[in-house]
Amino acid sequence: MSAPLRRSFADRADLVAYVREQFPEAAARDATVSPIRGGQRAARERLARLNPVRYAATRNALDGAVTGLSPYLRHGVIGLAEVRDAALAAVRRAADAGKLINELGWRDYWQRVYRQIGRGIWRDREPLKTGWPASAYAAALPDDVAQGTTGLACIDAFSQQLRDTGYLHNHARLWLAAYLVHWRRVRWQAGARWFLEHLLDGDPASNNLSWQWVASSFSSKPYWFDRDNLERLSGGRFCRGCPRAGDCPFAGDRAVLYRRLFPQLPPEAPR
Amino acid sequence: MTPTVVWVHGDCLAPDGPALRAFPAAPAVFVWDDALLRRRLSLKRIVFIYECLLELPVTIVRGSVAAEVAAFAAAHGARRVATSDSVSPGFAAICRRLAATLTVEVLAPPPFIPPDVPLDLRRFSRYWQQAGPLALQPTPPDDA
Ligand SMILES: Cc1cc2nc3c(=O)[nH]c(=O)nc-3n(C[C@H](O)[C@H](O)[C@H](O)COP(=O)(O)OP(=O)(O)OC[C@H]3O[C@@H](n4cnc5c(N)ncnc54)[C@H](O)[C@@H]3O)c2cc1C
Repeated sequence: MSAPLRRSFADRADLVAYVREQFPEAAARDATVSPIRGGQRAARERLARLNPVRYAATRNALDGAVTGLSPYLRHGVIGLAEVRDAALAAVRRAADAGKLINELGWRDYWQRVYRQIGRGIWRDREPLKTGWPASAYAAALPDDVAQGTTGLACIDAFSQQLRDTGYLHNHARLWLAAYLVHWRRVRWQAGARWFLEHLLDGDPASNNLSWQWVASSFSSKPYWFDRDNLERLSGGRFCRGCPRAGDCPFAGDRAVLYRRLFPQLPPEAPR
Repeated sequence: MTPTVVWVHGDCLAPDGPALRAFPAAPAVFVWDDALLRRRLSLKRIVFIYECLLELPVTIVRGSVAAEVAAFAAAHGARRVATSDSVSPGFAAICRRLAATLTVEVLAPPPFIPPDVPLDLRRFSRYWQQAGPLALQPTPPDDA
């Protein structure tokens, strides 16, 4: 058996210094450490603040009352059943916890699909419904997205937050994924690999299958968005000082945008 | 009782995880997987997992997972390894390798949906039609 690693540290800085020394290959790639702390105590503190009613009303907004529990759920520090039970205990009627429990259901669902298909999660589940052949998509992650230098304030901020904290709000993930796959026409696997490397909650099931959902290989149509949608859910914080506000690739009439992204598809049914 | 060790892995880092709960006195081990580390596990994630491990009564080593767990069991004279379930194919492969020399006991965490309910997994909407009403029920006291 190899020699055990240390278990006792003066403080977090001491632990981080030790980890950098013990895992030099990871530190050489990127020595950043997230402010999000591991452990069940940290998870339970978040669990104690659960507010399923506010969650349901605000979860789509970047500053909404989301739980931040994903890294803990991903690593089984707490379980879906425990979070569900805490959500039910925090409301008067079970239905008031329905939205949060529905989102927990997504994790359970992806896990079940993963159990069924295993490494098949790296392959398209179904053909893309974008009108583009698979060969139209680039294999590599573009550098400007990886480095956060596209000039698009939103995309660059998401890229930076991903690398600095290992966490992104669900909508930031959706927008970043849709931007890469549909605007930059990059294969979803390249984005999925990038996310998996940095996310603290990085999980082959939730991650890859969500990317496939955005790309349309595991859904009936591609997920895309426009500037109104992003501006509203982000409280305008990115668009305000964005150097590319004048040539925003997300701005404009939805039908025109759709035609630009998916010229081979019939016009989208109006919503 | 068969001498047992607990193998703790990155899909179940709860101090009250099913394997640690079932064998509270058994020596436990966590292995930093060399193969996974080569596949670009970030330092952020390593620190996060390390902080989780510090709340668990485990010996932390680094190497090839199945080999290290088997060596840990041998060092403790154990014939059985208990662990918590995971859906990942890598987990299944390690269990198969361990089963060559040890009895492997895989314990499930409290279920979100009662086990053995057949579910249609073609799309989330179909799954949720069946699972949704069950998910809204609290965990029965004896499963918690
Ligand atoms: C491109 C893309 C990649 C993603 N990659 C991951 C990943 O690697 N790991 C991961 O856990 N989630 C992933 N998600 C799903 C979702 O974005 C995160 O689970 C969620 O944003 C985590 O924040 P939270 O804990 O505050 O979520 P909350 O909204 O507070 O939800 C509570 C919990 O429910 C689960 N959950 C919520 N929404 C989803 C969802 N759509 N899919 C799966 N589980 C969900 C999570 O476990 C989450 O912690 C991804 C989504 C997209 C669009």
